[in-house]
Amino acid sequence: MSDRKPIIAMRSVTKRFGGVTALQDVDLDAYPGEVLAIVGDNGAGKSTLIKILTGVYQPTQGSIQMDGKTLAMSSHSDAIALGIDAVYQTLALADHLDPAANMFLGSELTKRILGLPFLDNKKMRSEAERVLLDRLGVRLKSMDAPAESLSGGQRQAVAIARAVYHADLRVLVMDEPTAALGPQETARTLKLIQVLREEGLAIILISHSLDDVFAVSDRIQVMRRGRSAGVVKTAESTKQEVLGLIVGAAEAA
Amino acid sequence: MTDTAPRGLQERLEPYLAIIGPLAMIAMIMLFMALVEPARYFRASNLNIILLEAALYMPMAMAMTFVITQRGIDLSIGSVAALTGIIMAFAIKEYGFPAWVAVPLALAIGGFFGLINGLVITKFRVPDLIGTLAMDLVYRGFALVLAKGLVLARFPDLITEIGRGRIPGFLPVPVLIGLAAFVIGAILLRRSWFGRYSIAIGSNPESAEMTGIAIDRYKVYAYVLMGAMAGLAGVMLTGKLNAIQATSAPYFNLHVIAAVVVGGTSLFGGRAYMLGSLAGVLLLSMMINALVTLRIEFFWQSVASGVVIILSVAFYTWLQKKDRDGARGLMSSLTTPDNMKVMKLGGALVALLALLSALGFALSTGSVPSG
Repeated sequence: MSDRKPIIAMRSVTKRFGGVTALQDVDLDAYPGEVLAIVGDNGAGKSTLIKILTGVYQPTQGSIQMDGKTLAMSSHSDAIALGIDAVYQTLALADHLDPAANMFLGSELTKRILGLPFLDNKKMRSEAERVLLDRLGVRLKSMDAPAESLSGGQRQAVAIARAVYHADLRVLVMDEPTAALGPQETARTLKLIQVLREEGLAIILISHSLDDVFAVSDRIQVMRRGRSAGVVKTAESTKQEVLGLIVGAAEAA
Repeated sequence: MTDTAPRGLQERLEPYLAIIGPLAMIAMIMLFMALVEPARYFRASNLNIILLEAALYMPMAMAMTFVITQRGIDLSIGSVAALTGIIMAFAIKEYGFPAWVAVPLALAIGGFFGLINGLVITKFRVPDLIGTLAMDLVYRGFALVLAKGLVLARFPDLITEIGRGRIPGFLPVPVLIGLAAFVIGAILLRRSWFGRYSIAIGSNPESAEMTGIAIDRYKVYAYVLMGAMAGLAGVMLTGKLNAIQATSAPYFNLHVIAAVVVGGTSLFGGRAYMLGSLAGVLLLSMMINALVTLRIEFFWQSVASGVVIILSVAFYTWLQKKDRDGARGLMSSLTTPDNMKVMKLGGALVALLALLSALGFALSTGSVPSG
């Protein structure tokens, strides 16, 4: 792993909101085919860091490099165009639309009839079914039912399918994906994360659950008071050590 | 088995409830009228009147379906219809515009008023309820300023043809226009970005924003469509009566909103039923015609429309409620501590009313002629 080049390299990123320093000199490396977990207490700067990576915020200082090239993103859509997308905790689904419509929300497939673009519902439906099954191994009971009738895990799958449908997606940020799920669905979501890792995506997982983090991640970056408190390899670490870093009881080597 | 069968039936019926509701009410009206006044109600000429009345509201109900699906509301359409009708009338009668120019002009003006509504709501951030209510005053005011008390009458054939013409052996022209509007509306809803995003915006505005949908732009589109359809209604109204005045179309707003809501489109957004809106328009026209046929005073129409809105919104809200188990016993829900307090307040108010009435009658000095 050490000989591979990071796909994303954030270098001494600082973000200030007025007088408040939310992030101070934070580095972050993400490798393809690897799950990087970001943990930390509330207000430790996890969300701010991720919002900078996904183009929602712009850093006050510091740089973001992708494949060694410095990025200049001014919005979230810039990040999507570069292959960086996020699945939010709220999932951003429209409850009254069916899974296919949700998956393609904002980037619908169309076909031209008499020169006018019409939504191609049939194609979106078959594509949605294909992506859910082939890439995520999920089969929904009904593709016609509105999203509000799906279970939490299925909703999550639809939201992830929306992100991975873009063929050039390379970095996927997942914000608290298991926060609202039961044990079975959590297990299924963690499996999904592993499937995506096998496909060579760089996954950045934000989570409060150390169990989940230790179950799927390769490395763990601990944030504390707007700084990076340390990065550990999951296989060589323990929950005690990570917990110590989160609360500030131990300093990383 | 016996437990699952009705549940399965209800689940299968759920998507069609929007259309079953108004159809059931239409059937009830027809049944009632068949018992009470069959000869006059089911006469061909009366059915024609019902259809002509309904046709006037069809294009507006189509557009209002989009507006309400986006969690919006437009309370200015009556005034927009009156004002566009008057502007068109002036263009034809004062300035000699040919009718085939004046009609699309009316639609364009209506669309422009809709654009103003949309900009007031999305740019000035005035809540839609207040924004369109205020614009209703503005448009009505302009109509009064322009037309004074005049009734503009006698229009070219094209206009009357749009308002009350009839293709021999077939449907009246306005009905065809109304149905065409609904066909276009249904296609827009299912197969266009505008329809898809209208549902998404109404369903969850935050999600829609996060997926990159230009919420404000699609809201403006809906209000422009609404305005243009109100303009069309202005043309149809002018043609139907062969006359227009500034105080025309006073009850358009609530009538159209009632039709859409009765049809199952949710005021809370995200749930759109084009076919339901059509059924709602027909239902309201049949109901009002029934009141007329029964020789009930015109002013009761307003009472009936209001009651229908309240009942249908309450009914659909009740349908949406997932957990109905706790609400079984009416008496048990009335005796919760909160409801007891409300009941006491209600009881006190009724007692006060009774007391004041009794006092008034007791000290009455006989009727005083006014003036």
